[in-house]
Amino acid sequence: MALLELKNVTKNYNNECCALDNVSFSVDKGEFVSIIGPSGAGKSTLLRCINRMVEASSGEISVDGVISSSLSKKKLRKLRTKIGMIFQHYNLVDRLTVIENVLHGRLGYKSTLAGVLGRYNQEEKSQAYRIIEILGLNEQIYKRCDQLSGGQKQRVGIARALVQNPKIILCDEPIASLDPNASKIIMDHLRNISKEMGITIIVNLHQVEVALKYSDRIIGVNRGKVVFDGAPCDLTTRQIRDIYGSESEDLIFELGERHAG
Amino acid sequence: MQFKELIVQETNNICEQLSSYEDRHTSFKELFLTKDTINFGPIKLLDRASIAMRTVILFLTVLTIYFFSTLDYQSIDVLKGFTDTFVNFKTMLLNPYAQRFTLGEAFYNVVVTLGLAFLTTLIGGIVALLLGLLAAQNLAPKQVTNLIKGFVAIIRAVPTILWVLIFAVAAGLGSAAAIIGMSFHSISYLTKAYSESFEDLDRSVIEALMASGANWWQIVFQAVIPSSVTYLLSWTFLRFEINFANAVAMGAAAGAGGIGFDLFMAGGFYFDLREVGFITYLIIAIAIVLEVFSTNIKGKLQKSI
Repeated sequence: MALLELKNVTKNYNNECCALDNVSFSVDKGEFVSIIGPSGAGKSTLLRCINRMVEASSGEISVDGVISSSLSKKKLRKLRTKIGMIFQHYNLVDRLTVIENVLHGRLGYKSTLAGVLGRYNQEEKSQAYRIIEILGLNEQIYKRCDQLSGGQKQRVGIARALVQNPKIILCDEPIASLDPNASKIIMDHLRNISKEMGITIIVNLHQVEVALKYSDRIIGVNRGKVVFDGAPCDLTTRQIRDIYGSESEDLIFELGERHAG
Repeated sequence: MQFKELIVQETNNICEQLSSYEDRHTSFKELFLTKDTINFGPIKLLDRASIAMRTVILFLTVLTIYFFSTLDYQSIDVLKGFTDTFVNFKTMLLNPYAQRFTLGEAFYNVVVTLGLAFLTTLIGGIVALLLGLLAAQNLAPKQVTNLIKGFVAIIRAVPTILWVLIFAVAAGLGSAAAIIGMSFHSISYLTKAYSESFEDLDRSVIEALMASGANWWQIVFQAVIPSSVTYLLSWTFLRFEINFANAVAMGAAAGAGGIGFDLFMAGGFYFDLREVGFITYLIIAIAIVLEVFSTNIKGKLQKSI
């Protein structure tokens, strides 16, 4: 059975049609899926429907066999611990240290009081430390997050998601504010996570060439509809035109050619 | 190659344009140094704002002249009035002396006043922390924040002394009414200050923690308060200074005791200017100590947090 399954998911904001329009797909364990599409196509909404940061208007989403739409607050919390999320602007607490930010990923597992007081047990701490070391941040471990570079901040974001022991990690444009070097490091880490740990990765991307290079599967979204769903090698320039609209054809075509050559 | 050609072409174009311009105007230099007057209007245009400004200034001038020409001095010699006041100030500030209490008693009363300020700031801070969380737009629903912000604004609009007098109806004039009234006003002041500090934290950080399954209390204590703790402390110190000044006034006006009551007795009951001077110096000294203390602590906090 698929790890994540969306059936006819629709989302309207303020009764206007349609941020998402009848979206259905399913994702297996360990898959690396990229979602591409123009700005405002509904990529972010799609991701946030999966962990119910945004409530879908209709349709059914099941994560790991649990249908999420009818869950109580407590069970939703439990479900969210299985879904990590990383963001374009990292969304870390700048005044806290790297290790404190990473341990925030454990809050969903803790009682309210233990979370409020910030009491973490030895096992959680050593897990956090291991993950930080894997991501190459052990020199920054007690640094405050506002002293880090963008790439390092994003790695802290990944560590925070990993320490949840998630089954899925949702990435909302993780490399949109990073330079090419840092972007490559982040994307390599994400690919390793999916290949070695068997964690499903779903990434929103603006860079078609990055999506082509890293993903097992690409989902193209335009105006809330899935217009492409398949392997990267099946993505033709015509389909890219379907996804991004005809105006951007030349630009993307050129980009594609340059990377081919 | 292409790029180079393009630049050469552009440069030629510009040169052509320039030479044709010089044909018409002989040269830039001549144009710049020409003495012909150019007909130009006023630099400042007479629009609605400046008309309103001028009207206000004219009105105030007329009012001032009218005020001084019709002032009723009631057989007071203005010059003598000024010199007498000056002499009073001289006695107050240059010959301070306390005869009705010792220095030890004066310090004890200062401590009472400081205690009043500390207690009201503490009560205000604790209650305002909770209300501030509920009044922050990134932490609570909009209806709740609007309700609390509106309520708190109304409390703040009424001065502290009026709240003390209102509570004096129930608690009797004295320290109890002063503490309730001053705490009341501190709560409303600090709620506004705290909630605005909390709102500094980006909504997206809260979203990130919610997405990982953290609940509201955990987010508040792990993200919101650590991010705003320096603001919270500096607002609280500021309120403590305000409350010290208020506590002096409450001692005089509401019989809440402390150095303010001594000041009231010295000034309004014994007419002892030298004692008033002594107490004034004492209060100024305490205020300076508080200011230095809080500036130091704020500096240290900003370094460490």
